[in-house]
Amino acid sequence: MPDVYTPDWYESVKEAINASVATLKDVPSDSFTIAVEIVGDGVSPYVADGKVLRFLIRLEGGQCAWYRELEEDDPSVKLDYRFTGPAAAFDAIAAAQADPIDAALSGTIKVRGDMRFLMRQAQMVQVLLEAYSKGVETTWPSGQPPYDGKGAS
Amino acid sequence: MPKTTYDAIIIGAGHNGLTLGSYLARSGLEVLVLERRHEEGGGLCSEEVTQPGFVHNMHANYHTFVDMAPPVRDLDVRGHGIEYVRPEVQMASIFDDGQALTVHTDQAKTLASMARFNEEDAETFRRLYDEAHGFVDLLLGTLMYQPPMSVKELTKALATFGVEDRSEFLSVKLRRESINQFLDRHFTDPRIKAHLAFHGAVCSYTNDVKGLAIGYPLLVGKIDNWHLCLGGSHRLAHALWRDLAQHGGVMWSDAEVAKVLVDGNRAVGVRLSDGTEFEARKLVASTVSVEQTMLEFLDPGAIPEELAQDVKSKIQHKDWTLFSVHLAMDALPEYEAAAFDPDVDRAWVVNLGIDSPARLDADWEKIRRGQLVEPQPNAAVNSLYDPTDAPEGYYTGLLRQFAPFALADGGEGAWDEMGRWYGQKCIDAWRRYAPNLTDDHIVDWSVFTPHDIARKLPNMVRGDWMMGEISLDNMLDERPLPELGQYRTPVEGLYMAGSTQHPHGFITFGPGYNALQVIAEDLGIEKWWARI
Repeated sequence: MPDVYTPDWYESVKEAINASVATLKDVPSDSFTIAVEIVGDGVSPYVADGKVLRFLIRLEGGQCAWYRELEEDDPSVKLDYRFTGPAAAFDAIAAAQADPIDAALSGTIKVRGDMRFLMRQAQMVQVLLEAYSKGVETTWPSGQPPYDGKGAS
Repeated sequence: MPKTTYDAIIIGAGHNGLTLGSYLARSGLEVLVLERRHEEGGGLCSEEVTQPGFVHNMHANYHTFVDMAPPVRDLDVRGHGIEYVRPEVQMASIFDDGQALTVHTDQAKTLASMARFNEEDAETFRRLYDEAHGFVDLLLGTLMYQPPMSVKELTKALATFGVEDRSEFLSVKLRRESINQFLDRHFTDPRIKAHLAFHGAVCSYTNDVKGLAIGYPLLVGKIDNWHLCLGGSHRLAHALWRDLAQHGGVMWSDAEVAKVLVDGNRAVGVRLSDGTEFEARKLVASTVSVEQTMLEFLDPGAIPEELAQDVKSKIQHKDWTLFSVHLAMDALPEYEAAAFDPDVDRAWVVNLGIDSPARLDADWEKIRRGQLVEPQPNAAVNSLYDPTDAPEGYYTGLLRQFAPFALADGGEGAWDEMGRWYGQKCIDAWRRYAPNLTDDHIVDWSVFTPHDIARKLPNMVRGDWMMGEISLDNMLDERPLPELGQYRTPVEGLYMAGSTQHPHGFITFGPGYNALQVIAEDLGIEKWWARI
């Protein structure tokens, strides 16, 4: 079981996503580059307060082709989507304690990009999110969410 | 000899035409924007119609998509001299019993005001506002600033994501409900419901029309985002024109288009009513009415006969419009209801005397029959927040009354006889709530009737300031007709980019911005503006 936000964990998430999408009948062939920005919020012990963990993820035909961590925002990368939110919210989703759709609907996690594709491919999006949220057994070395607001519990 | 060939020719220099022109000019295209009137702006029209020094917004007064609409950022409108103010007390309703409800930029104050009428409703409004505010970004990204999806696609996605189970207020059922039904289901107090219904109506979402509940949460999400453009709304048109010009675009005023020139099945230019012709290498975009574009600008046979018939018979226009009174004053209104809530005297827009949705419903019924209703106008005093719009010590006022375009007795032409009389009745109605506004405090006043709207801006057909009815079957990709719902037309290279298209009228920038996305795809223009 990989520790959250480690290379092993990312690899496990990638495998979970790819395995889940493989079960779908109709997968669009489109390719997307997605930025995920996990913002340290003083609550999650995994991202320092004010620091931003940035990842680029490439989806091709619903499969995760590659991912990489970015030190800084790279404006030269042409993004299709950007997901931004507080680390505690991302932690809670990775621990299957919060629902990613709820997080987006409530504005806790901001989604930018052409929403029409997300709406038209709602089933695939759900499978992707489900895989992220529940597809990996994660270990939490500094404590597991939910947090008490002062750090890890 | 002036230049006569451009990459893109845009018909109409309203905010959608200028927006589209600026983006294309910034993309390296040679752009010409043609305007029939003597100046740019369309509905962004500010004039001294009472006395010199008093600037009155003849059409667009409320800018509710500021900092939500991408062009405000992309085209740097603030950098071109635009200043917006977001009034602290956005809106109020004053009721006949002397009580008043106020909506503030400070949510706590709005809730406190509502709680004086009904604490449970105030709490419901808090939940609705918080939920709507949460998903407003998603809704804007999905619905407003993208070429439209279909209602069917949207409802299917909402169902797949299980939105109904996750949300107290969003539901696929809303597409079958009126705003009245939505309000009845969630709220109790008729005055709170009246205010919320009025808010919908001011945004052109008529509260008794089935299906419009689907858009109501979005309206609530921006209920406190009403902005005033300092110096008059027309300044926004100047800013957009400056941006166009700085990037090499050209705007010609007093240039009335008579024809779109078609070669084969491709739009290749336009001819003005004085015979001048301009050639378009890549595209012609019309931001004026569907009727003008399809039936007047194009020769018969340029579009399929079936589409021509649909334009004649199926284009839906609003079944009510606005009667306006513009006032120059030397006093601010002092409302009697200030004894109940002092903030009403600082409210930018005040809804007078509509104390239940039923009152609005009764008015709609009469208005649809072409009858005048006993005026209960809404009153805006821009000078409260814009001291530049009137000489020192003086103020502007704007009364707006929901009204029919054509009167049952005499048609639209009857407004020329009735306007001044009805304007006086509107002033009298205001005075009942603010008795200090006696004749000696009103320096001058002028009316702007529904007939005037259509005469000044012919693309606002029948005074239709939204350039198309707001109804479920005239929304999204059905607006204005399914064949035209994606900004393209049957004539290659001819696009529709005005408020006839999704999302609708109002200062949204949406139609111009969304048409840009389609044009960029067709022409292979890199979307430099799509900064995710």
